[in-house]
Amino acid sequence: MNLVAAPNHFYQPVTRTAGRSDRREFYQAGGCASKGETQDVKGQAVFCKEWGDCHSGPATIPGVNNGFNAVVLASPRPVALPIAVYPGLALTGATVRDVVTNAQAQFDAQAALHQRYHTPFVLSAMDLSAEAEAFGGTVQFSETEVPSVIGRLVTTLEQARNLPVPAPGDGRTAIYLETVRRLRQLPDQPIVFGGCIGPFSLAARLVGVSEAMEMTVNAPELMHTLLEKTASFLTSYIRAFQQAGASGIIMAEPAAGLLSPRAMAALSSAYIRQIGGALADDRFALVLHNCAAKRLHLPAVLETGWKTFHFGAPMDIAAALDQVPADVVLCGNLDPTGVFVQLQPVEIMARVAALLAATKGRPNFVLSSGCDVPCAAPLASLDAFYAAAGTVRPR
Amino acid sequence: MLDLQPLHDAILNGDAKTAKALTEQALAAGVAPLKLVQDYMVPAMGEVGRRFECNEYFVPELLLAARAMKGALELIRPLLTASGVQPVGRVAVGTVKGDLHDIGKNLVAAMLEGGGYEVIDLGVNVAPEQFVAAVKEKHVHIVALSALLTTTMPSMKTTIEALKQAGVRDQVKVVIGGAPITQRYADEIGADGYGESAAGAVALAKQVMG
Repeated sequence: MNLVAAPNHFYQPVTRTAGRSDRREFYQAGGCASKGETQDVKGQAVFCKEWGDCHSGPATIPGVNNGFNAVVLASPRPVALPIAVYPGLALTGATVRDVVTNAQAQFDAQAALHQRYHTPFVLSAMDLSAEAEAFGGTVQFSETEVPSVIGRLVTTLEQARNLPVPAPGDGRTAIYLETVRRLRQLPDQPIVFGGCIGPFSLAARLVGVSEAMEMTVNAPELMHTLLEKTASFLTSYIRAFQQAGASGIIMAEPAAGLLSPRAMAALSSAYIRQIGGALADDRFALVLHNCAAKRLHLPAVLETGWKTFHFGAPMDIAAALDQVPADVVLCGNLDPTGVFVQLQPVEIMARVAALLAATKGRPNFVLSSGCDVPCAAPLASLDAFYAAAGTVRPR
Repeated sequence: MLDLQPLHDAILNGDAKTAKALTEQALAAGVAPLKLVQDYMVPAMGEVGRRFECNEYFVPELLLAARAMKGALELIRPLLTASGVQPVGRVAVGTVKGDLHDIGKNLVAAMLEGGGYEVIDLGVNVAPEQFVAAVKEKHVHIVALSALLTTTMPSMKTTIEALKQAGVRDQVKVVIGGAPITQRYADEIGADGYGESAAGAVALAKQVMG
């Protein structure tokens, strides 16, 4: 089996209880791929204003099924994509509360960073409370920190069964869709990513994260009932991002990283695979972020069938790159606080250099933060990151 | 002779109902409460911690084991107190002011309780004065501070300063942990210890208590 055949494997029907033999077959599929198949396209167009611009070139790379991967694999230099919107507040003077409640403030923060760093990518802000709030959850706001979901909306199976599924645009999800629409209007047309939470992390916020952990074992029916609903909502929400003009989304599923690989496969990856299958657009980039996942989770993560993953500090990125097929892109993983907030610029540059050295010769690696860079990160940190990355330099 | 290995196994497997029933049986049969704790419950949680550290157990398994341990311990603790048995140490745990995240704090509390410590769980969004009150009124040996957010990390420093101002800083050891926390930050704010993961909580507590 080679990379050309791999996509068919990815989009087989969901198997929630995929066993060890299934995973072995997956690795045989990926492992048989020759890395050389991706090498001949290096040096082609680096950043495209639209996926379509480069579709006739890099998108023909065997096994690549989204435009972002095509751009990454075709780039002669490592691509840099930190998850950073909130540091833009240092340039706009707005607060975190403004960003999560006002599309213009969110647009301004990201546009300011885009202007400063010439970023080829722009993102809506990471806020893992908006979807839970749309379901009816209670949220506590702060001027300086992303909102927190408080209390428990669902405590019983009956409540889970009766929970209505919101529509995209309900509550503050409208702000993120509108931000994407505005980012889409930037004159130099960067590639626009929307952002959403993952199905398990959303379900966990509805029942309480700590409680959700126990419910995965002692109330699985309740969790699966909720997961059907969260996956349904997220499918619609991602479609709405597509319609708003996004070229892809970054889905954050951190709570799944606290589970065993088997539980992750059953309670997260199966539903993410379902979402990806329903969207069925080969150009739309589906990026799965999990800042808690470790290397042992990788097989379960790959069961999503997605081909772009964004990991946090716990992941051994270099080792993970050895483990995935050549057409699967991995992004990561500088600690957002330990590096971007707490280190001096010179130290940050050293960390970037070390990560680039560890991933040298890997066209399927994207240099990034391991999670959302907080607003406490000084701009000097991002300056150092981009300078060391050598891909985009500050104006 | 009552076979108590199933009590160990029930805790290890997170089976709260069986753990509680077996504890009741054991107490009714006249088994010494301290023997139950020292020979079966603490070793079970020690094994849970080992498995957690080795990636054989994950957060759900750890929390369920802790719940099983807690249920059994609730039956035993009054008997221990009545007979004058002291815990290994007393720890006040809480997520600092402004931070509503509880999972890290819960994991640390579970591991400490499993290690034979008495845990006073102050909850989330805990103001510095609440930690001070716990030191003064509950006579805790360790204050364990948790934070998930970068913006609430300064509350750890504020809490340590509040302990100093109240004149009780020298009476307790302060340990800190959480996703954004580093050893460097612990050193900066004058904490006595930093825990990188919940699995190391008991070892850290032992270390700071000397």
